[in-house]
Amino acid sequence: MAGQVPACPQHMSLEELRTAVVEGERTAAVAATRSALGEGVPARSILDDALVPAMATVGDLFKRRQYYVPEMLMAARAMKACMEVLRPELVAAKVEPLARVLGATVQGDLHDIGKNLVLMMLEGAGFEIVDLGVDCTPERVVTAVREHGARLICLSALLTTTMPAMRETIAALEAAGVRGQVAVLVGGAPLTQAYADEIGADGYAPDAASAVDKAKEVLARLTA
Amino acid sequence: MPEETDGRPVQTEQGTGVGTGLDHRRRWLRTFRFQSVDHVPDEEFGYWTDTYRVWQREGLPREVASEAAANRYFGFAPRARVPVVMGVRPMLPVRVLEEDERHRVIVNGLGQTLLQHKDGTSSIPHFIRFPVENRTDWLEFRKRLDPDDPARYPANWEQRLPEWRRRDYPLGIAVGSLFGWIRNWMGFEGAAAACIEQPALVEEMMEHVTELVLHVLRRALADVPLDFADFWEDMCFNSGPMISPRLFRRWMVPRYRRITDLLRGSGVDIVYVDCDGDITELVPLWLEAGVHCMFPLEIRAGTRPEDLRATYGRDVLLMGGVDKTALIAGKRGVDEELARVVRLTEQGGYIPHVDHRCPPDVTFDTYLYYLKRKRELLGVPEPEAPASERVRAAMS
Repeated sequence: MAGQVPACPQHMSLEELRTAVVEGERTAAVAATRSALGEGVPARSILDDALVPAMATVGDLFKRRQYYVPEMLMAARAMKACMEVLRPELVAAKVEPLARVLGATVQGDLHDIGKNLVLMMLEGAGFEIVDLGVDCTPERVVTAVREHGARLICLSALLTTTMPAMRETIAALEAAGVRGQVAVLVGGAPLTQAYADEIGADGYAPDAASAVDKAKEVLARLTA
Repeated sequence: MPEETDGRPVQTEQGTGVGTGLDHRRRWLRTFRFQSVDHVPDEEFGYWTDTYRVWQREGLPREVASEAAANRYFGFAPRARVPVVMGVRPMLPVRVLEEDERHRVIVNGLGQTLLQHKDGTSSIPHFIRFPVENRTDWLEFRKRLDPDDPARYPANWEQRLPEWRRRDYPLGIAVGSLFGWIRNWMGFEGAAAACIEQPALVEEMMEHVTELVLHVLRRALADVPLDFADFWEDMCFNSGPMISPRLFRRWMVPRYRRITDLLRGSGVDIVYVDCDGDITELVPLWLEAGVHCMFPLEIRAGTRPEDLRATYGRDVLLMGGVDKTALIAGKRGVDEELARVVRLTEQGGYIPHVDHRCPPDVTFDTYLYYLKRKRELLGVPEPEAPASERVRAAMS
């Protein structure tokens, strides 16, 4: 359009990157990340101004039922691929993650789809993820909290029979004297907010997109 | 649910409808046609493997250790499927790859590599690898989905026909799965990614399954007057479907329709789908596809039978919808839950039972109370045979 001011090249590449991530275009997203770095855009800006907002958009689309798991998964994978490119630059620039998060399916439970989706979305929101896997004993979680200095634990259970392991894990954190330094977020098909309250969790997330909001909320309460 | 895969019904001592003129089959069909019945069919979904072990410590006879035995012991109404193999055949020999004190990694008959508990504790396993990752894998895998494989029908099929034709119980056929099977073959993430990255492959797999089902179905439909057909999908989380309704409508509705049209053309007018989770968004699409009975209506996931009835009226049939977590809560939870479903049952088109396999954290005592109260409230006669006879029946 005549008279229009050309867009800043940096803004253009970040806009391309945002679009590529939202649309789950992994190759285009990685190319846009490399391009932005090549143009001298700081790694922190790429993360904060493109990748994190892109995944926030994805979460919003999921909550509004415009995106479903396949679309969310492809976006998360694109984001992850971009992070592989970006991570050395973030480390060099001493950019800290929002917080370090542990993800675990509790003892007795081998199901990990929900946990994996939650961790993908949290990584997309700028958290550093340590995935402890499935069938995690309370002791293992306590050890990992100490080892990694995590501020948030996401516990997942699919079965009514494994839900009590969440309570046991929280009790183990109390007994080990580390409960006050870490927030606990729980989720899984049989869970409810009432159950989360009953076992002393800090929050309950019904799905992966909500988990990001809830994680920020419980961490804010922890640091308040 | 009281079904056996060999087409033999689970025989019970009660509920033959003597004196009412209704046998099990007519009662089941009349219930789903919103016609008057003496009482609703007495059915339940089933039990986790762990449940038998726990309940045996609480008083269940040791002989009752399988679903068929439990159905006989509790005296449920019989229902069966013809023994036609609609899915992958043959299964591969199971291989153990590694094991430690608590876990075992195996490659199962389907070709999935998975981690499972060694002590037999019930859980969805941790999947490590799946047999189909790309089209090359699919072309190899497809060899075990041969529609012309003669072993899809049992050798004694012809001999069984007279017994099935004079039956007094509902008899149906499993008609496969358009998405659930693909998820089993590719894994959840693999199938979800394939929907975006390899849509042609997903459609090719769905089309093959559709043609397989149509091909295999024809002989059964020609030989036996069947009462129902059932799909298995399990494609919903507690927050809704695994794929978008848009993809569901484009890929699955027309293919379901081809199968349900064939079924209805042969007189099979009750077609249900087994799908856990919150199915709300998919119900109108299943109805459009000719799949009009929803099962098992998981309450905790937000699928409530009364809501579906309010929205779709008599266009939808319902099975399940009794919250398993209410039974976990104890007898008071049972009372409250049954009060919720009784009125809906009276309207017809609905068979209430627990909304999934009964987990071991429901006590045996609570479960017996649930059955007793359910039967009282719904006018279902208690099994007439004493417990000792029902144990013998369970072993038969």
